[in-house]
Amino acid sequence: MTDTAARRAAEREFTVRERTQLQLTVRRFLRHRLAVASLFVLILVVVFAFVGPLLWRYDYAQFTPDNSVAPSLKHPFGTTEDGKDELALVMRGTQQSVKVAVLTAVAATAIGAVWGAIAGFYRGLVDALLMRFADLVLTLPLLAVAAVLAGNTRGSWWLIAIVIAGLQWAIVSRIVRGVVLSLREKEFIEAARALGASDTRIIFRHLLPNAIGPVIVNATILVAVAILYETALSFLGFGIKAPDTSLGLLVNNARTAVDTRPWLFYFPGLFIIVIALTINFIGDGLRDAFDPRQQRIRQ
Amino acid sequence: MLDRRARLTGLSLTLGLLLVLSACGGGTSQEESTSAGLADCTKNPNSCNSGTTKKGGSFAYVIEKDIELWNINDTNANTFETAEVLQTLLPGVFNITPDLKPTLNTDLMASVTKTGDNPQTIVYKIQPNAVWSDGTPITVNDFVYAWKTQNGRDCPLPPESDDSGTRGCNPNNTAGYDRIKSITGADGGKTVTAVFSRPYADWQNLFGAGYGLLPAHIAKQYGGDLDSVAGLAKAWHTFNTTPPKFSGGPYIMQNWQKGNAATLVPNPRWYGKTKPTLGKLIFRVISDAAQEPTALQNNEVQGIYPQPQVDLVSQVKKIPNVTYAISHGLTWEHFDFNLKTPALRDKTLRQAMFTAVDRKALIAKTVGQFTSGVVPLGSHNYVPGQPGYKDLVSPTGQGSGNVARARQMLTQAGYTGVGTALKDPQGETVGPFKIRYTTGNAIRKTQCELFQAQMKQLGINVTIEEIGADKLGQVLAGGQYDVIVFAWVAPPFPTNSAAQNWTTAGGGNYGKYSNKQVDKLIDDAAAASDPAQAAELLNKADAMVVQDAYVLPLYQKPTFLAVQTRFVNIRNNSTNTGPPYNTEEWGLRGAA
Amino acid sequence: MLAYAVRRIAVSIPVLLVSTFVGFVITSLSGDPVKNFATSASPPPTQGAIDAYARRLHWDEPLLERYWIWLTGLFRGDFGPSVNPGRDLGADMWTRFGVTLRLITAAIVLALILAVVVGVISAIRQYSKLDYTTTFLGFLFLAMPAFWLAVLLKEAGIWVNEQAGTTIFYTIGEHSPFLEVDTAWNRFTDTIGHMILPTISLALINFASWSRYQRGSMLEVLNSDYIRLARAKGLRPRTVLIRHALRTALIPLVTISAIDVAQIMGGAVLTETVFQWHGFGEFLVRSINEVDVYGVLAWLLLAGTVVIVFNLVADLLYAVLDPRIRYD
Repeated sequence: MTDTAARRAAEREFTVRERTQLQLTVRRFLRHRLAVASLFVLILVVVFAFVGPLLWRYDYAQFTPDNSVAPSLKHPFGTTEDGKDELALVMRGTQQSVKVAVLTAVAATAIGAVWGAIAGFYRGLVDALLMRFADLVLTLPLLAVAAVLAGNTRGSWWLIAIVIAGLQWAIVSRIVRGVVLSLREKEFIEAARALGASDTRIIFRHLLPNAIGPVIVNATILVAVAILYETALSFLGFGIKAPDTSLGLLVNNARTAVDTRPWLFYFPGLFIIVIALTINFIGDGLRDAFDPRQQRIRQ
Repeated sequence: MLDRRARLTGLSLTLGLLLVLSACGGGTSQEESTSAGLADCTKNPNSCNSGTTKKGGSFAYVIEKDIELWNINDTNANTFETAEVLQTLLPGVFNITPDLKPTLNTDLMASVTKTGDNPQTIVYKIQPNAVWSDGTPITVNDFVYAWKTQNGRDCPLPPESDDSGTRGCNPNNTAGYDRIKSITGADGGKTVTAVFSRPYADWQNLFGAGYGLLPAHIAKQYGGDLDSVAGLAKAWHTFNTTPPKFSGGPYIMQNWQKGNAATLVPNPRWYGKTKPTLGKLIFRVISDAAQEPTALQNNEVQGIYPQPQVDLVSQVKKIPNVTYAISHGLTWEHFDFNLKTPALRDKTLRQAMFTAVDRKALIAKTVGQFTSGVVPLGSHNYVPGQPGYKDLVSPTGQGSGNVARARQMLTQAGYTGVGTALKDPQGETVGPFKIRYTTGNAIRKTQCELFQAQMKQLGINVTIEEIGADKLGQVLAGGQYDVIVFAWVAPPFPTNSAAQNWTTAGGGNYGKYSNKQVDKLIDDAAAASDPAQAAELLNKADAMVVQDAYVLPLYQKPTFLAVQTRFVNIRNNSTNTGPPYNTEEWGLRGAA
Repeated sequence: MLAYAVRRIAVSIPVLLVSTFVGFVITSLSGDPVKNFATSASPPPTQGAIDAYARRLHWDEPLLERYWIWLTGLFRGDFGPSVNPGRDLGADMWTRFGVTLRLITAAIVLALILAVVVGVISAIRQYSKLDYTTTFLGFLFLAMPAFWLAVLLKEAGIWVNEQAGTTIFYTIGEHSPFLEVDTAWNRFTDTIGHMILPTISLALINFASWSRYQRGSMLEVLNSDYIRLARAKGLRPRTVLIRHALRTALIPLVTISAIDVAQIMGGAVLTETVFQWHGFGEFLVRSINEVDVYGVLAWLLLAGTVVIVFNLVADLLYAVLDPRIRYD
C-alpha cells in the first residue's frame, strides 16, 4: 500500500510538467499494448521489405537452379517452380504492396482532407455540390471501378495506388468535413479571421490540424484496405504485373499450391494478414489515443 | 487445420517422389486390381483403360474455353474445345487414334481405296446405314459441300470490302481440297469418287481427322442455293453461329448453355457398331484450370484435361479413385516472331535472340517439374517417334542459351549496345518487344519471363502481356504481338500442317513468314507420292525455316488426362481431337 | 410510407443519372475500342471498316452526344452496342444479374444475421473469452484476402463432402448442367448446394466489420439511460434486450450495411471467379478485358441501381426500427 502511495506521489511530482498534445497522444498510444506490439511488428515487416533485399543473396527476379524446393537454410521460404527464391519474392512483394498502400493512404488523405475542409468551411452550395459528388464516389463499387481503370495501368504500382486512392478519398472528405463544421464557429477561428487571415490560411493552418486525429486513424486503415484491394486486383489480373511482383500477385499465383507447395501459398498470405492485422490494431490504438473520450465502456 | 499441418510436413516427401516419377508414366492414385487404368497408356495407347461398360451414368468432361463459333472448318472457330465437342457429332472418314495414326472410321465407311495415281483417284464407299440424326442418309452431297466450301474456288475468301466477313468462306485450310478436280456420286450417293488434279500425299486428312462432315441438306436449309457463292457463304456462317441440333455421330446435343455446358444424349439414329451406354455426356466449361482438380475431387466433373502444372498434377495424384496419364503428343510449344514488327525483320537479330533462349533451363523450370524426359524439340514438322523426325534446330545453336555466341552474332552484324541497350546498325533502339501468352497459363508465363530475362542479357527489353480468355485466335489473326508463345495442335499429316504454317499464304502463318523456296518445297512435298520423299523435301524446307529463325520449337507439350476410375475406355489422345475421339465407348465400368 | 418510398425513388433517379454519367466518363477514358479495333489486325482494317466500326459504337460522336444516345437507348431497353457484334449486352445481362443478385442478397442476409448475433452476444458478455475470440476472428477476416478465404472454404467443403460420402457442397457453377431427376425440389437443393460456399465466402468479409459495429452500438445503447430505466422498472431482461436495446442498436448497422452494398457488388466479382459462376461479375471482367465500354456501363448502371434500392430499403427499415421516425 505504501508502495503505491509513494508511486502516486512520485507520479504527481512528475506530472507537474506541462505536456504538449502530441506527448499526451503518444503516451496514451503507448498504453495500448496490442497497438504498440503491432507497431513493432509492422516496423519489422517494413524493414524486412526495404532493407532485406539489400542484404539477401538472391534477387527477386533471379532464376536460381533450385526449382520448387521446400524451405531450407538456403531458401528459407522455399522456391517457386522456376527457381525464384520465395523469400526474395516476398520481400519485393511486401515492398511493392506497402508502396501501393502508403501512396494510396497519403493521396486519398490529402485529396479527401482538402475536399472535406473546403466543403465544411464554405458550406452552402459548395458544400452541397462537393459532398454530393463524394457520396456518389462512395456508391461506386471500388473493386469494379478500380478494375476498369487499372486495366490501363499496365501494372505500374503508383498508377494502381492513384486509382485506389481516387475512390477512397470520399470517406476521408466526410470525416474532415464533419470536424470542420463543428470547428468553424469556434472562437479561435473567429480570432484568426479577425486578425485578417485568409481562407486558405484558416483552412490549412487552423482547421486541418485539428482534424488530424481522425484523419490519421483513417489513413492507417486505408493502408490495410489498399493492401487488400491490390491483392484483389492482382487476382483479377489488373494489379502489378510480372516480372515485378506484389503480395497479391504471389498469393494469386500460388492459389493451387495450398496442398502441394504450401510455402508458396502461406508465406505471402501470412504477410498480407500480418500487415493488415497490425495496421488495424494500430488504428485502434491511435483512435483511443487521439480521442480519450472514446474509452472502453464498462458496465 | 491439424490435417493441413500434417500435410505440410509430408510435403517434401511428396515432392521428392514427384520428381522421381517417370515421364510418360501415369498412375492410379488408388490401385485397382481389375485394370491398370491409364498407367499403361504409354505402351498401349489405343487400348489402355479399357473395359466393359454398363448402362447408365453421366460423364462430365471439362473443356477450358467457351465455344463461340461452331463451324469447325472456319479459321476463327478452329479451337481445340470446338473440335473436342464436334468430334462427337460430325462423322469423319479417318479418325486419329491415340497412337497418332489415322484409322479408318468403319462406322461411317465401308471402304476407302486409292484406285489410281494418275490422276490420283480415291473411291469412298459409305456404309448404307449411315444417316444423320433426322434420318437423311449421309451421301456424296455432304462430301461435295465440304469440298466446295474449302477448295478456295467455289466459295472464296470474303472480299476485302466486306467488313462483316460473311460474303465468303473462311476455311482454316484449303490444302488437298484445292487439288480435287471433281467429286461424283453413285449407288444413290453412297459411293463417292474424288479425282485430283494434282497428287496429294495426305489425302487421308480430307473429310475427317477432326474436321468432320457437315450435313449438306441442313446447309441447303441455311443457305439456299449451294451452287452459288452467296448460298455457300450463308450456310457456312449459319453453321458457325448456330449450335448444331443435328448429328452424324454417337451423341446429339440436347442443350447448350453458353459459357457453361453442352449436354449430349445418345443419338437414337446412331448407326455405329458400339452404342453409347452413358445416359448423358456433358462438356463443362471451366475457364480457370485451378478450379479443375477440386471439381474432379468433388465429383462435379468426371474427367479433366487441363494443361499440366506442378501443383495441379500433384493435387490430382492425391485424389482417390482417379487415374491419370501424362503423355507427349503432337502438340508443341513454340516462340513465334511477328515478322510484321519492323525491327524483327532482321534475320540476324532473330537468330541471335533464339540462340540466347535456353530451352533446357526453360524445360526444367516448367514441365520438367512434373515429368522428366521432355527434351527440346528439333523440328517444325515432326515429333520424335515419327519416321521423318530429324533434329534440325539444335545444330544451329538456336535454343541453346549460348548468350556469348548470340552477342557475337549481333556485334558482327553491326549492332551496338550489345548486352546493355541494344541498338541496330542504324542506331535505332531495338525493342521493347511485347511477348504475349494466354492468361492464367502459369507455364507460359514462366516461359515469357525466362525469355525476358534471356533477352535482357542481349540488351533487349521485353514486356510481357497477357491475352484475355478466348482471345488467342484474335490476337494471332490480328498479329497483336511481337513475340508470342502458344502451341500447335497438329493432325499427324505433316505436309498439310506445314502448308498451313510455313507457306506464304498459309492459314496458320500468323507471323507472316514468307520464303519462296520454302513454299515451293512444301508444295512439292504435298504432291510427293512416297512419304519418305515427302519427309525429305519437308526437312529440306524446314532447314530453311530454322535458318530464318521465325519460330523456335520448344518442346512437345505434355498432356494430362485425369478421369475417375468408375469409368472406362477414356484415354488420352494428344492429337487435335483430344480424348473425345471415342466417346461412344465411354461408360461406367461394368462387371469384369 | 408508400408516398415516401415513391418520393425517394424519384430523388434517386437524378443521382443514378449523374452516377451513370461519371461511370460513362470513367469507362470512356479507360479504353478506346475503336483504336483497339484499328490495331487488331494485320494488315490493319481499311479506314472504311474503322469508320463503320466507330459509327456502330457511336464513337464518332462527341462524348456528351454519345451519352445521350446511350441514355435514350436505355428507355427502349437497348443497352448499347457491344464491341463484339455477336454479343447482345441486354440479353446476356439479365440472367447473369439474377444470378449475382441471388448471391449478394444471400450473403448480405447471412452476414447480417451473423453480425447481429455475434455483435449482441459479445456486447452482453463484454471482455469474455467469447468476446475476445470473436474480436480476434473479426480482425482476422478483415485482414484476409477474399479469395484466400474462398480457397480454404472450398477445401473445407470438399472435406465435408468426403466425410458425408455425398455431394452437399458444390465448388463450381451456380447450378448443375442438368439433374438426373428434374423436380422442383431437386432443383432447389441443387441451387442451394451450389450457393452455400460462395455465399459464406462473400458474407464472412462483411460479417467481420459489421459485427464490430453491432457490438459497439449495442454497448452504447446498453449503457444509455433509457435502458437503465427500463431495467430499473423491472422489465424482463429479455424484453429489455430485444424490444428496447437491440431495436435501437440495429440502426447504425442498417446504415453501414446499405453503404457497403456497393463494395459487396464488387467483391462478388472475385467470388464468382473462384466458384466459376456465370454471373454479373464474369460479365464485368469480360467487358473490361474486351474494352467493351457499354458492357462496363451496363454493369455500373445496374450496380448503382442495386445500391440505391438497398439504401432505400435501409431508410424504410429505420421507420420499423425506430418508432420516432415516421415517413409520410
